[in-house]
Amino acid sequence: MRTLRVAGQLMPHRRSIILLLAAILMEVWLAASPAWAVETHGRWSQLDILRWLGIAAAVGGILLLVLVQHVYRKKLRHGTYRRLLLIGLFVLPMIVTWTTTKTVMEGTKSVQACMSCHVMHPFVNDMENPSSPTLAARHYRNNWIAKDQCYSCHVTYGVTGTVEGKRDGFRHWLYYVTSTYADPIQYAGSYDNSNCLDCHRGTAKWDRVKSHQALAAEVAADRIACIACHGPPHPLPSERQTMANRSTGERDARTEHAD
Amino acid sequence: MPKKPDQPEGLTRRELGRFVGASIGLAWLTPLTGCGELWERQPVIPVDSWNKGVCRFCGTGCGVMIGLKDNKVVDVKGDDEAHNRGRLCIKGLATRDILYSEGRALYPMIRKDGELRRASWDDAMTLVAQQFKQAIETHGPDSVAYYGSGQLYTQESYTANKLFKAGIGTNNVDGNPRLCMASAVTGYTTSFGKDEPAGCYEDIDHAECFFITGSNTLECHPILWERVRDRTRSRPNTKIVLVDPRKTFTARHADLYLPIYPGTDVSLYNAMIHVFLEQQFIDSDMVEHYLSFQEGEQKRTFEAFKRHIAKYTPEAAAKTCGVTPRSIREAAFLFASSKATMSLWTMGLNQQVEGTASNRLVIAMHLLTGHIGRPGATPFSLTGQPNACGGVRDTGSLAHALPNGRLVANPKHREEMEDLWKVPRGRISPKAGYHAVALFEAMNRGAVKCCFVACTNPGQTLPSVSTYREGMQKAFLVVVDAFHPTETTKFADVVLPAALWVEKEGVTGNAERRYHLYPKLVDPPGEARSDLAILVELADRLGHGDLISARTPKNVWDEWRKVSAHSKYNFEGITYERLEKERGLLWPCPTETHPGTKRRYVPGEDPMAAGTGRFDFYGKPDGRATVWLDHQEDVLDPYTDEFPLIFNTGRILEHWHTMTITGPVPSLQGIHPDYLEIHPYDAHQLQIKEGDPVVVRSRRGEVELKARLTDIVRPGMVFATMHSAGHLVNQATHDVYDPFSKQPAYKRCAVAVRRKTV
Repeated sequence: MRTLRVAGQLMPHRRSIILLLAAILMEVWLAASPAWAVETHGRWSQLDILRWLGIAAAVGGILLLVLVQHVYRKKLRHGTYRRLLLIGLFVLPMIVTWTTTKTVMEGTKSVQACMSCHVMHPFVNDMENPSSPTLAARHYRNNWIAKDQCYSCHVTYGVTGTVEGKRDGFRHWLYYVTSTYADPIQYAGSYDNSNCLDCHRGTAKWDRVKSHQALAAEVAADRIACIACHGPPHPLPSERQTMANRSTGERDARTEHAD
Repeated sequence: MPKKPDQPEGLTRRELGRFVGASIGLAWLTPLTGCGELWERQPVIPVDSWNKGVCRFCGTGCGVMIGLKDNKVVDVKGDDEAHNRGRLCIKGLATRDILYSEGRALYPMIRKDGELRRASWDDAMTLVAQQFKQAIETHGPDSVAYYGSGQLYTQESYTANKLFKAGIGTNNVDGNPRLCMASAVTGYTTSFGKDEPAGCYEDIDHAECFFITGSNTLECHPILWERVRDRTRSRPNTKIVLVDPRKTFTARHADLYLPIYPGTDVSLYNAMIHVFLEQQFIDSDMVEHYLSFQEGEQKRTFEAFKRHIAKYTPEAAAKTCGVTPRSIREAAFLFASSKATMSLWTMGLNQQVEGTASNRLVIAMHLLTGHIGRPGATPFSLTGQPNACGGVRDTGSLAHALPNGRLVANPKHREEMEDLWKVPRGRISPKAGYHAVALFEAMNRGAVKCCFVACTNPGQTLPSVSTYREGMQKAFLVVVDAFHPTETTKFADVVLPAALWVEKEGVTGNAERRYHLYPKLVDPPGEARSDLAILVELADRLGHGDLISARTPKNVWDEWRKVSAHSKYNFEGITYERLEKERGLLWPCPTETHPGTKRRYVPGEDPMAAGTGRFDFYGKPDGRATVWLDHQEDVLDPYTDEFPLIFNTGRILEHWHTMTITGPVPSLQGIHPDYLEIHPYDAHQLQIKEGDPVVVRSRRGEVELKARLTDIVRPGMVFATMHSAGHLVNQATHDVYDPFSKQPAYKRCAVAVRRKTV
């Protein structure tokens, strides 16, 4: 049991190694998961590079550990053996951790990431429906928001916005995997109007509406939501029910294209 | 210490499980720690409870959710489950402030030595009863009157109508709907035999062409406009044809815009029918089986109708209306050729001397082309007040009317109502009462001694208002209002403070025949009471307590829905329990399991319609709807060298009616409606610059405003809003009215404008 003994100098026991390997494999799977594939129109995005770097590091790390431990163990000097183990057990896993975190942080911005929970299907289906009059659908079909459409409107600007966004995502995920959410799902709290105002405020269209001037302070304080007049942003609960009753694979017949 | 292989250091699987479980559990408990903000976004305005209700303002009747905290209304948002799909306009959002505005009437007041002084309820009501009794005894029941409102709840208008018509014995019951909806009523009743639209809001979702005439829908019915826009966004081929003298915000979205001269609608619609005939757009099945033709009292044939229409060529009408013949032809083509056309109109059509004729010609265009009774195809009149339809039109709280479409002039109708109200035959007077303008004119003459004014502001809204202020001064005027002072309480002898919106409970009926419930959520301020409580007490003090036996909103509603069962309006199935649960129901709705009626007169859809044909126009004895032969009359109050401009009045999005409610709302105080829109061409000739103080002078009076140079109006036309009490545009307007509906023509009079010399 030489292997175990030597390894035991670095790690307390075999079970921990198995756990670590499982974690690495999990990260590889997460990084490569097609649910978070981002459309790049044939080019390599930063996200793709990071993902493949992570996969390469993970595979390389496992291969290295297996080779070092089982094939070349006797041929290696003790110092080299320790250094290679260090690389296999720490350096490469750190690269994997970094790239996967980055991939997850970026990847969860995508519409597909939101779509990976089935409660989001009616929202995304509606957004992609060229005949839908909802705010989300109009922003989508007019390309007013070029990518990461869900994230762009639901995560507020700045670092706090990102933290809030990731927290919300985590909470949603938690509720989802434990099935402890109430249906129909509801937006929690007051919507942050700055998500709308950053683009719309100060435009000619905005300025010519006297109501906007009258409500400027209330809107800035989120005491009145933009969607109070301009909504609904997504299909309403009753409409979502109708959409959910349709087969999920089947999308609306889209013969007409709206502007 | 040697370790056992099966008890390693670190976490076991079980421990890991426990750790994760505990973390999730703790995460769930976060909101309880008061650090909820760290875990979940929070509402900016915290509320204790959300309650279903309806907006206080216009006839759209949007569903609202009302947030209460510490027994106060703190937040209002649109109701996702109501027809407005969660949307509200700025006025609807302002409802969260209206109850707590400055200027609420808090206690009764009696005028002594020319001044209103605080009094007790008992003293005020004693005085009111004494004055009314004295007038009735000395001068007969027709010397007293009630002037109500399309904003009172149905229970209140119904009770007032019953008290005055079946108790006191006078038909002097009228109200502000006469100023806004009367021509729509006569338009519908002369065409179908029954009032109220045949279609509903849902038709907007199916229409392929919107014919909008005399309506600035974007500003005055913004939530319905959003629904129209939803349709055009979903189906970009949907056309909007707009007829309006002003190039309003609505006009910016129109595919075809016809800027006609005010008061020339009859020519335009006749010319459009001319094109229908010329281009074979007439639905011959409709003409053969479902339509009759009439001119005045005379029945006419379709051939006679065609001869009548032959005069109205697009070329001739174009000259009258000030548009091109080509645009009339195009409008007619878009109207007739679409799969489903929906017309929308409001004050622009109603408030003119030919209001009734204009209304029934729009309806006739639908009847002749068959654009009716299908999803998306309907002539639909928009309403200005939350309960003009349900409270006043349906209850017949008008001088010529009785409940559910009955008429004072019809002996059979009087007998029916006497039986239903359990009063002796002959109690209801056969003489129609005074309509709005005639009522105040009678007060001028001294024929009406006492008038009970509830929830409206005739001191500002009557046409040529200076003429009628004398009568208000002369008569014993009781004003029940939630606000004081107003232009009417100025003339009041007694002011009674009323509860507003959710300070009282009641049912209203919106523009699409939808009855819905306003719950009582908070107590009224000071000593204010609900209008129903005030009317019940008046009945008691006038000795008609037995007649007014239903005294709570629920009991009055139960009585009323059972009365309706004896008519084609039948909404007996709209029980209080259903109203509490549902977002309103559309009548006819005869049973408690009936889902309500979207399209009237269609057998299979409308429970009142018989047979298996395409239509059953059951309001008419022969089951046929009537198409009228109406002529373009010469305009009254013509423009001359002395009065060379046409004066038009209207509204803006942010304020409502005479601003008694919207005026004090903090967020709306920056919106000033005191301006005169004038075309730069006219301004140039009159040497008027932007912002100059100007005087608008008509044959009746003057009003001062600030000039706003804009091409929204055409050269030769000026426009002002009717909102502000600071500048009474009705000192200039003309008090002529439609001969059928008696609705005044606020939309057109001749004026001169000059720069005010300081």
